[in-house]
Amino acid sequence: MGAAAVVLAVAAIAAAPLVVSTYHALLMLPFMAYAVVLLGLNLLFGYTGLVSFGHALFIGLGAYTGAFLTTHAKIRSLELILIAAGALGALVAAPIAALCVRYVKIYFGMLTLAFGMVFYTFVLKFYRLTGGDEGMPFLRPTLLGLRLDAMPKIDYLVGPYYYYSLAVLALAALAMWRIVHSPFGLCLKTIRDNPTKAETLGIGVTRYRFYAFVISAIYAAVGGALLGPPTGNVDPTLAYWTHSGNIVFMTLLGGFTSFFGPVVGAFVFIYLQNWVMSVVPYWRLIFGAMLALIVIVAPEGLLGLVSRRRAAPAARA
Amino acid sequence: MILRASGLTKLYGDFLALDDVSLEVDAGEFVSIVGPNGAGKSTLINILTGVTRPSAGSVRVRDHEVTGLPPASLARLGVARSFQLVQVFPDLTVLETLQAAVVARLGRGRRFFASLARDREVQEGALEVAELFGLGDERHVPARQLPQGDKKLLDVASAFALKPEIILLDEPTSGVSTADKTAIMDTLVTASRRVGLKAIVQVEHDMDIVFGYSDRIFALHQGKVLADAAPAAIRADQRVMDTVVGRKAGVSRAPAC
Amino acid sequence: MQKIFNLACGSFYALGAYAGVSAVGWYVGAGGPPALFIVPLVLAGLAVGVVGLVVERGLLSFVYDRDETFQLLMTFAVVLVMEDAIRMTWGTSPRSTGGLYLAYGQIRVLGATAPVYNLIVILASLVIALAIGWLLTRTAFGRIIRATADNRDMAEALGVDMRRVYAKVFTLGTMLGTLGGALVIPATAAMSEMGIELIVEAFAVVVIGGLGSMRGAFVGALAVGILRAIAISVYPELEMLLIYLIVIAVLVVRPRGLFGAAEA
Repeated sequence: MGAAAVVLAVAAIAAAPLVVSTYHALLMLPFMAYAVVLLGLNLLFGYTGLVSFGHALFIGLGAYTGAFLTTHAKIRSLELILIAAGALGALVAAPIAALCVRYVKIYFGMLTLAFGMVFYTFVLKFYRLTGGDEGMPFLRPTLLGLRLDAMPKIDYLVGPYYYYSLAVLALAALAMWRIVHSPFGLCLKTIRDNPTKAETLGIGVTRYRFYAFVISAIYAAVGGALLGPPTGNVDPTLAYWTHSGNIVFMTLLGGFTSFFGPVVGAFVFIYLQNWVMSVVPYWRLIFGAMLALIVIVAPEGLLGLVSRRRAAPAARA
Repeated sequence: MILRASGLTKLYGDFLALDDVSLEVDAGEFVSIVGPNGAGKSTLINILTGVTRPSAGSVRVRDHEVTGLPPASLARLGVARSFQLVQVFPDLTVLETLQAAVVARLGRGRRFFASLARDREVQEGALEVAELFGLGDERHVPARQLPQGDKKLLDVASAFALKPEIILLDEPTSGVSTADKTAIMDTLVTASRRVGLKAIVQVEHDMDIVFGYSDRIFALHQGKVLADAAPAAIRADQRVMDTVVGRKAGVSRAPAC
Repeated sequence: MQKIFNLACGSFYALGAYAGVSAVGWYVGAGGPPALFIVPLVLAGLAVGVVGLVVERGLLSFVYDRDETFQLLMTFAVVLVMEDAIRMTWGTSPRSTGGLYLAYGQIRVLGATAPVYNLIVILASLVIALAIGWLLTRTAFGRIIRATADNRDMAEALGVDMRRVYAKVFTLGTMLGTLGGALVIPATAAMSEMGIELIVEAFAVVVIGGLGSMRGAFVGALAVGILRAIAISVYPELEMLLIYLIVIAVLVVRPRGLFGAAEA
């Protein structure tokens, strides 16, 4: 995607609260949170070639970290929360990654799914610690030290919190862009394309997959923490396996072969889901059909279609 | 001594693929491993490059014991290889493939935030190897779109980009038209001089190529060493010629050397 | 056997369960004798298994040549669709056949009281398992299935019509799933989360028993069932957690499971 398109998109997102209805502006908040998650997930999926069916674990982990810090530890600084979420994500991801990256394809998917459900069950059952299926409240965090409790919730969310989220997303995207275009990123691509050959070039496949996994977990946890404040509550469903499936769906929808594909996927998914639900409650049916269609017809997602159409005339030139 | 394999034996269940095979390669040597199909050539290469573990025996690179080390470790110790069935990175361009090799060589794989495009050493190193192998014009072509011969070249080139001490080539001219074979071999020899390569080991079926370029011929048959000598001695050994070449008496053309 | 990890198998199980409830409800409403309620139950279970054919022909057949990831995602699509399809047809509140299953009475076994129905189900599953085993080892069709599972290209080269085989196998598998769901209904209730919850258990069974082995599936199911029962009576909170941890342990120590064919 051209730099101009990106700038325009950012400007559009920034201008949104001033232009569109509050309802739609509020929808942008989970979009931005998921965008962060997906940037990380795609490092694993699109750039390293590993599909995790358990990444909701880290989303849940990040969300619960934030909830726990605000409710029990009386820490309200969003900066601290995000850092803690990221750090915890990395910490938990390390042993899981160390185990899972030794396996490929379907075994990897199955292992990650299992770990995801372990976390889900843990959160669900140990209700004394986590609040069980009722979840845990995520109190309004302070932004850059500013305690904005007096603000009405909507104003807070569509105002300062909105732009804070945007800033986090922008930083996350910038960091991921550099990662993807670094020597490390190139090594990941070699592992995706041909792990055997990558090994013979001296690139330790397992080790690099491990790094990619941990980085993606950090992103997922940070995104997860951002998901908390808008609803004010976090619950175990954040870690359920179908949630993991949904974020993979989002990545596929937007296109895993391009950098911004997953971000587009998150946007389309959230808005489409919202729109469908306003018409009929059976969004899963429609989305399931959509997923099937994508897998069969357009596995490279929306952005993949766009680049295919752009490439066609060039090929004829 | 660059590489020394001693007493290598490999059992696949009941099948003895290699039986007490020993091979030593010194600096400056070009060794060709020959033998009929099933002789154990690929198994030998796989053991020497860490893809397979021997059931018995050891491999040393310079003075390091490397038996059983994975391919990545061996690559870092200076052992590079190319593949019989050509292996490339389908979605990476020629340049990117070579950059990856240089990145690995320079140990810059863990630079998470550095800009690849602005890494002068990597860029120049990759470009140099591309041009050495005549792939300069195609440097931005994704590997999957390359013609077969160029894919082969890329496979070999990426091994060279590691600036290894020794390179093991598994049938470098297989699948290539006869006209192109000598071109590839000459490129290989020129490149090895430029890159500072100390030794080359190749598995090769084309006896013209073998006699044309080797300092030493290592013949395998049914997992055992049949002969290990200079081309002239091999050519004079009827038993080896019959086993490896078949009932055709001698070679059809005089070799280049 | 087809080397596809079907995330939707739980959904088929749920479908069978709901269909079973409806069938029995209709049957009782039509005045059928309670003792024979098992007949419409089983018939319903088998009938909706036909959905498998539709899914296989209409969706899965397009992705056999693709990366396993896409196959997995395709089955996830089926999960989504079926979840809502079931919700659309039967609503969101749990359905059950009430105390009908006690129509067969109870007996005392090994010092505990158990409904006879439960024993019937156990017996039925044993019979089915044996029947499948016989099908796979003694019939020509079974041989074809095993050959295809082992080496698809070779089987195709030998003249086996892959599409037909896959269609039949998948449908058969689906039917078993729906039948299972139906049979279980009288003892429990049909709930809207059944499908997505079951898949994790089913997946535990497959991992422990090993992918691609019938014996493994049987042993795995037994293992999971027993482990769950033990966990529930000893430390209820740990029930599923224990299962998952064992799954992880198995995947680490012996990724093929107890009887599976090597793959990783």
